[in-house]
Parts: sequence; structure tokens; C-alpha cells
Amino acid sequence: MLDGVSRRPARHCAKYWFYFALSALILSDPMAAQIQNQADDGQWTMAAKNYASTRYSTLNQINTTNIASLKLAWTFSTGLTRGHEAAPLILNNTMYIATPYPNYLYSLDLTKPGAPMKWMYQPHPEPASQGTACCDVVNRGAAYWNGKIIYNTLDVQTVAVDANTGKEVWRTKLGDINLGESITMAPIVAKGVVLVGNSGGEFGVRGWLVGLDAETGKIKWRAYGTGPDKDVLIGSNFKPFYAKDRGTDLGMKTWPGETWKIGGASAWSWISYDPGLDLFYYGTSNPGPWNPEQRPGDNKWGSTLFARRPETGEAIWAYQISAHDLHDYDAVNENILLDLNIGGQLRKTLAHPDRDGYLYLMDRTDGEILSAQTFGYVNTSEGVDLKTGKLKLNPTKQTGYNTVRDACPAPPGAKDWQPSAFSPKTGLIYIPHNNLCYESQAVPANYIAGTPFVGMNTRMYAGPGGNRGVFSAWDPVQAKTVWSINEMFPAWSGALATAGDVVFYGTMDGWFKAVDARNGHPLWQFKVGSGVIGQPVCYKGPDGKEYVAVLAGVGGWSGGVVSGGLNAVDGTAALGFANAMADLGKYTTKGGMLYVFSLP
Amino acid sequence: MKTNTRQIFSTFAGVLGVACLSLLISCAGHQQSAVDPAGPQSGRIDTLWWSFFWLLGAIFVIVMVLTLMTLGRRHRGFEQEPLEATHKPSEETDSRLRRIIAGATVTTVVILFVLIVASVGTGKANSELQNKKNPLTIQVTGNQWWWQLEYMNSDPTKILVTANEMHIPVGRPVQIRGISNDVIHSFWVPNLNGKRDLIPSHVTTQWMEADHPGVFRGQCAEFCGLQHAHMAIWVIAEPEDKFDAWMRAQLQPAAGPSTPELQRGRQVFMNNACVYCHEIQGTTAAGQNGPDLTHFGSRRGIAANTVPNTAGNLAGWILDPQSLKPGNHMATIALNSTDLQPLVEYLESLK
Amino acid sequence: MRTGAMGICVMCLLLLAACQREKRDIRPSPTRLAIYGDAAKEDALRPGGPISPQPVVNNPYNGSAYDISEGQRLFNWYNCSGCHANGGGGIGPPLIKQHWTYGGEPANLFDTIVKGRPNGMPAWGGRIPEYQVWQIIAFIRSMNGEQPRSATASRQDSIETNPQNIVNRVRGKTK
Repeated sequence: MLDGVSRRPARHCAKYWFYFALSALILSDPMAAQIQNQADDGQWTMAAKNYASTRYSTLNQINTTNIASLKLAWTFSTGLTRGHEAAPLILNNTMYIATPYPNYLYSLDLTKPGAPMKWMYQPHPEPASQGTACCDVVNRGAAYWNGKIIYNTLDVQTVAVDANTGKEVWRTKLGDINLGESITMAPIVAKGVVLVGNSGGEFGVRGWLVGLDAETGKIKWRAYGTGPDKDVLIGSNFKPFYAKDRGTDLGMKTWPGETWKIGGASAWSWISYDPGLDLFYYGTSNPGPWNPEQRPGDNKWGSTLFARRPETGEAIWAYQISAHDLHDYDAVNENILLDLNIGGQLRKTLAHPDRDGYLYLMDRTDGEILSAQTFGYVNTSEGVDLKTGKLKLNPTKQTGYNTVRDACPAPPGAKDWQPSAFSPKTGLIYIPHNNLCYESQAVPANYIAGTPFVGMNTRMYAGPGGNRGVFSAWDPVQAKTVWSINEMFPAWSGALATAGDVVFYGTMDGWFKAVDARNGHPLWQFKVGSGVIGQPVCYKGPDGKEYVAVLAGVGGWSGGVVSGGLNAVDGTAALGFANAMADLGKYTTKGGMLYVFSLP
Repeated sequence: MKTNTRQIFSTFAGVLGVACLSLLISCAGHQQSAVDPAGPQSGRIDTLWWSFFWLLGAIFVIVMVLTLMTLGRRHRGFEQEPLEATHKPSEETDSRLRRIIAGATVTTVVILFVLIVASVGTGKANSELQNKKNPLTIQVTGNQWWWQLEYMNSDPTKILVTANEMHIPVGRPVQIRGISNDVIHSFWVPNLNGKRDLIPSHVTTQWMEADHPGVFRGQCAEFCGLQHAHMAIWVIAEPEDKFDAWMRAQLQPAAGPSTPELQRGRQVFMNNACVYCHEIQGTTAAGQNGPDLTHFGSRRGIAANTVPNTAGNLAGWILDPQSLKPGNHMATIALNSTDLQPLVEYLESLK
Repeated sequence: MRTGAMGICVMCLLLLAACQREKRDIRPSPTRLAIYGDAAKEDALRPGGPISPQPVVNNPYNGSAYDISEGQRLFNWYNCSGCHANGGGGIGPPLIKQHWTYGGEPANLFDTIVKGRPNGMPAWGGRIPEYQVWQIIAFIRSMNGEQPRSATASRQDSIETNPQNIVNRVRGKTK
């Protein structure tokens, strides 16, 4: 037993709960109150499974001993060919699938054989919005709240659809594609407030996160990523842990002239919520443009982690991970909320595997860094100063008008949006990530509203070892990698951990894999029709059986070579990603399809 | 023969006199002159130039006098036999000749050495900062064919971006960080310092300091394409308080249009290709290809000081930029007169 | 004697070809340069049989090294490169390719740039003057070897992309 987190293999749930209860008694610690041990009804109602974003299911029917017989149960084609990054939702014996543009929402009846379609909702987003999505026209999923499926469309709208009938309940336009804005993220609903952020760090947008009333769709507040404190919703309760993040109007004073108005810092990815502290956590994107010479200063609040109150949006603390970001290191990756025993003390922590290659374990009450160690190969920095909270940059890898070669990780980071999973049974975080380096040269970025604002010619390639992806297990307490599996292509799918001690993930060459949660040994794999960049989920069907579902359909920033038909003869295509993925077309073709697996 | 020598002498003196006069005319109080120094760096260059001039001038005169003396000497006549055949120089003459030649060689080498030391010393002195008082850093970016100026500051809100007109405070050292966006240019304000090349993807630096107020003209000094000759910059050295006032004004975003006519002018700007290349802070125009126009109306010239900034010149420049400065990168757009007038007024109002 | 005259003639012709390459229209008119009418067809199907003769629109800047290089500059200035990278694509489709969704003829490209296309291609008409559109088209065609080799730049100013890309550029189509 490690501090309330069972590290022993437990055969089935009862045993697990027994240990759980026992340790609770021994440590006289309210174990069940630990945030990672949330109740699980076998449904999947938000992309990250729960507010703590563990992507962990307590279902254990499929386990290490019987997984070899896992079989395909049924499939469903989305009819679309762009990147499928979403997590399907499962509730009330219905599955909901949000697709990439044109953002269909399918509802499938799980009570009937073959899960026939109940209804399909089409929001008809503006087709021109496809020209404002930096990295494929993806969508990362929906959220369920009070009889409604709520999700975002590419053309900057949030829609709520009646979960039973498929009728639109409300629709709110949040931004303007003519300013380069779009939305690809999966919203979450906390305390009846839908949290939605925009995308467009590559389009010179001014980033924001809005809180919408889940019942009416009315905008309650909007927190900008740049600008004066009143716009960023920074007030008297804002207490950053580190001195470097304190001061007034930093979102404006750390930018030259009016560049903050087109400075990015959008909130295009994951949000976690701690109901106990009543704080939600998210990170902002890179400051724009990529060319750092055009924005001297710290460029707050780009590449920053924020903790805010859901009802007012008020910022409680912030920590800027990359001040004056040089490599497109967005801070948007998932924040897994864990209560862990660190140095003999139970701490309310947040685990954030960042693009810059460090896994930041932070105190989520105040933003103090408890540890920050690399989980991938990094040479752009030489560590994080835990006293000042500053990243120690490597001066030889600073981008600009000079040419920089062999900087690692590349702009998609040691890890991009692809979310990790955490198993309370093993106490490990399962991280799908990248192993990419790059060379770059800045060029002046010109701002034309609604078009890209980047200013960097880049070319990426595989990092040391030659494998472009890694799937690894990370011990957040010891701050080190426990095991890892090399993958040919970036591991661009989400991870799923279950109480059966099985971890699922997919690869871009089309394999859906299951490995042993304790040691990473391969247990099972299935070749699906297209590369997997979706988020696998696990649910209990109406027949009481455990099902695992995943969307295949290659695409995204990494898969644009195939889904967008790019020409890798130009290595700078897809912001340089095409150079690293030139051979993807030999291994997979495009096409969105849902695969559902179960034991026979 | 004597008359001949005198003729040569007088012609030579005449030429020298005219050259000196023209030199004096070209430098007397001019805004673009290396021999009218306005700061310690150009002062050193000026001293060096004049030491070269007088020293080399003296040598020139001596050599010329000696040459003329030789020409004027009574010669032997062609009918005589070659010198070597009849006359062997004595031991004494021979060694005297040798001493003279050796002496001349040594003198030449020493003089050249002194010049090299003086030249290198001046260059070295100019590349270092003596007056360490609160230096100002300006990044100068060469573009075909205009200058972008970025006043650097550790406080990003005090960073100023402007073009083609540089204001500097008197008595304060200025570091020029030079870089280029396209080809190699050379930044040269002769009244303040020598030339410094601006090279793509490579930063070069130069120090300069004005010791009295004045307006100085600079010019690109490295051939950079079709409009190399029309790539000028004004440097305005002014007292610290005046400079600070200028800086404060320039850091403000552009004033909003105060009349319907100006409003219309701004609309024309936003509706046309102007926004694709120019920035006006305080509006949504944030193009980066051309000069920042936030305070365009306060500048002295247009088209990198090709012509003075007047409404008439501006209207001509907008309507037909390729006639004033053929080959430049400003797009020729179709504007009708009802749009042109408000646009010109709006731009001129950006003080 | 005859061969000599022939030689001189050939030399003169070659010289003229060189002039064509260096031809510069440095005072372009902001108004319409080419009448493209309904020349831009995006479909091969012609109900009622083909119409002859077909209208053809030629890019006035075909084969001009100056205009191709101006097109390359504008390709970056107007952020074409933001979506299409240096021809390989990204947010938008690649421009180095065999198949064009909306037709690859100069008239089609003109329509695409000026009017935009419904799936994300912005409409630039009304802001970018027509002569610059044609310059951009000249550059795009050069990426596909649709410009004479003599007029095409052998390298680009930014970070080199890929040797094959350079080969494509250099090869071009000989006139």
C-alpha cells in the first residue's frame, strides 16, 4: 500500500475495495474522499471520464488473464474522413459520438443488437471555418449535463442537444471565424456552468475561456488569456505561488505595444475540476506568433496554468510554465487531479505532463511545484528551478531569426493534447507521447485577421532512438518512468486504464493495443481500419458486459499528411510535422469508424 | 625648360585648390557629411580623416615636388651613350643611393604602420562604449527599401516601433542593433558614425552618440536593389526632455478619427490592401510587411524619405507608388478620388 | 556564310528569350489585366458536347523571372504560406500536386484566390490587386514545374525544405 494508492495487483473489485477500506482504517484517512477514487457507474459522461480526468474505469471484467479473447462486438462508420479525436459518451444505454467538422452528433441505441442509430444531429457549422483550424478540423468530444449533450462546433459555437430526442436546446455563438477563432475542445460542466475555450494560437486570436449557463447557454463570464486584469478576471483573490507571476495587468505589460490583442493564449484543450476546492484547472496555448522576436517580454498569460472558480471565472492562482515561449510549448495538456502522499504528507496535487517535456506535479490549492522531471527527451531546457518556478532554458536552442537545429522536443511537445490516464490501483500515470526534435528559423509573421500568424519555418524529425512515439507509465510520487514502449509514430491517441489492470491506447498505423498496467507487457492488439488518434473509453453495456470503444480515423496535426493529403516533399508542411510523418501514408488511410470490443 | 616646370606647377596647384574648395563646400554645415562630426564616434573618424588627409597630402606634395624637380633637371641629351657604359658610380654615390632607398622604404612602412594603428585604434574606440550613461538600444531592420526602427526596452510596454525617422537624445549613447529582412543593407549616418552592414539572420552592432542637437541624414550604403538610392533615414538628435516627450507621444496608440471625413479615411484604409501590410496601433490593422503608420503624420518624409511628407506627395504616392519609386513593394491599388482624399487626410492626422 | 547567318539568327532569338525572362512591368495597372470571362471551368463534363473554340486565359506574367519572384514574396506577405506552407500544405491543401479540386489552370487559380472556395479558402478579391494575383499564380505554377526552368528560382530564401522540392523547382518545364 502506498499512501492510500494500492500498488498491489488486485484480482477483482471486491478485493480492491477491501484493501481500500483497510488502508482507510489504518491511515484513518478518508480514502473514498480522495479525488482519484470517484464513484463509477460504468457510464462515460465526459471526455476525461471524471472531473479528476483520470480516464480510469473500475470495470474489471476484461483483465490481464482473459483479454487475449477480446473480440470485436460491433462497428459504426461516421462517414467522415478527417481526424477523429473524440471520446464517445455512454449514458442511459446510449452512445453519443461527436465527429470532426461538420460536427455531427450521433446517438446509438446500445440496447439493441448492433447498436442502431437513434438520431443524428447536424449543427451545420460555417464551412469556411475549416480554414481557421490550425491542425485538422477535429473535435475532442462532448459532455453530458442534465438531459443535454453539450459540445462545440468548429465555427465557434456551443450547442446543447436534448439527449433523448436529438433536438437542439440552445446554441450560443462565442466568437468569430474572421478573427481566426475556432473550437475543437471538449467542454466540461461544473456547477451548472459549461466551460469552453477557443482555439487559434496560430491565428493571432486573443484567447479566452467562457462560462455558459448549462440550462440556457447564456454567457456568464469570459476570461481572456491576455490583456488587463479585469479582462483576465484577476481580482483580489488572485494569489500566484511564485513571485514571477505576481503584479498588476501582467497580461498587458508583458507585451510590446498592442501585440497582446493578437497574442494567442487560447484555451483549446482540457479542463479538470475539483468540487472540494471548487476550482477548475486548465492551461493556455502558446503566445502568438511563434516567431519570438516579434513579442519581447514574458507574454503573459501564454503557456500558463490557471485555477479558477467555475461560477465567476475568477482566477485564484496561475503559473506560467514557459515565459516568452520559444517553441510553441502550449500549457494546454490535461491536469490529472490526484491526492498523493508526498514527503509523508497527503497533498492535493495536480499532475500536468507538459509540452516542454516535464511532468509538473503541483499543489493544486496554491500552485506550488512539488516536482518537475522530464518524461521524454529534452534539450531545450535544463530543469525547473523549484524555488523561483522558472524553466532554465538552454541558450543554444533559443529560436529566432537564427537557424536552430536539433531542438527537442519539437513544437508538438514531448506530449501534445493526447490525454493520459491514471490508475489508482497501480498509482501510475499512463502517458501517450512523442519523441520529436526539430529545426527552425523565424521569419517575420504578418498579421491579417483570419489567417495564420506563425512566422516560423520548421521541420520535425524523430528524436534520439528513431522512434517517433512512446507510451510510458510514470510514477508521480517517485517522479520517474516505470516502463515505456516505443512506437514508430507519435502515440497520438488517448489512454484508458481499467481496474482489470489493462491499459488501452491506439497507434497511428492503426493498431488498437492493450498492455499490462503493471509492466507494460503487450496483452492484445487489433488492427483497425485507420490510424487511431481517438480516446478509448470503457463502459458497462445493458447486458452487464464490459465494453471498450474507440474511434479510429487518422488525422490531427500529426496525421494531416494522410487526412489532408499533404505533400511531404515540402518538409515545412503542417508547420513542419509533415517532414516527420512522410511515410504515414504507407501504413494507414483515412476514414472514421467506431470499434467496440467485448469478451465473447 | 623653366617655363615648362612652372606651367606644370601652376596647373597642379589649381587642381588642388579646386579640389579643396569643393571638399569644403560639400562639408560646410551639411546634414550628411563625415567631416561635420556631431558625436564622439564621428569625431574620431573626422580626426582620423583629417590626419590622413594632411599626412598623405604632405607626402603627395613632397613626392610631386621631387618629381617636378627631377623633371626640371638639365638632362644629358639623347645623343650621349648610356650612363652605365661610360660612368660607373663611385662607391660613395652608391651607398648614398642605397641609404636613400632604404630610408624611403622604412619611412613608408613606418607611416603606413602609424596609419594602420590610428585606423584600427579609431575603429576599436568606436566599437566600444566609453560613455556608459544609460545607453539606448535601437534595432534597425533593413528592408527593400526602408528602415524599420525598434526602440528596445526591458519593459516591453516601452518598446516603440517606427520607421525611417530616428530620434535620439543628445549625450546619451545609442546602440544600433542591425539586422536585415531581405538582402544586405548598410546603415550609414555619416555625421554620427561610419557604416555598418545589416545582414539577414545576423545581428551587427554599432554605437553612436550625438553631442549636440541636429538633424542628420543617413543613407543605405550597400547596393540593395532597384531603389537603393531612395532608402534614406533622418536622425534627429534632441535634448533629453524633448526626446522623452517625443517617445511618450509615439508610444500612444493612434488617435481615433475626430471628424466624419477622418472616420471615412480610416474606413478606406481598413477596406483596402493597406491593412495587409501596415499597422496602426489603436485600430485592428496590424500588418507587418510595411512601415508602422501609427504616427505617420509626425514623420518628415514618405517612401523612406524619398519626398517630403505633404498631402500632395502622399496622394501621389498612394495612387501611383511605382511612378515615384519604381520597383518598390507598395501595391498599386485602384482608389477613386472620393476615397483618396479622406485616406490622405486620415493618414496625415496620425500625428 | 549561310551557317554563320543562321548562327547569328539563332543567337538573336536566344537573346530575345532572355529578354522575355527579365521582362519587368514595374508600373502595373491596378485595373484588370486579363479578361478571363467564363474561361475558368472546373468540370470536364460539357452537356451538349464541347464548345469550340474554348476561351483560354494566359497569365500575363508567364515566364517572367521578376514576376515569379514577386509572387513568391507576396505568397509569404499575404500569408498564403500560413496555410499552404512552402507548397506542401497544412491548414490548406498542398499546392505541389497532380490533382486540383477546383482546377489548376491559371483562370481557375485566379477564381480560387479572388472569389475564395467554400471549405476554408478565403476570398481575397477587392483587396489584393489583380496584377499581384497573377504574380502569385505565376509562382504557384512554378512550384509544379509549370514555368520555364530559366525563369524559376533554384532555391528559396527560407529554411530549405526537402531536396526533392528543390529538384522540382529547378527542373521546371523547358519552354
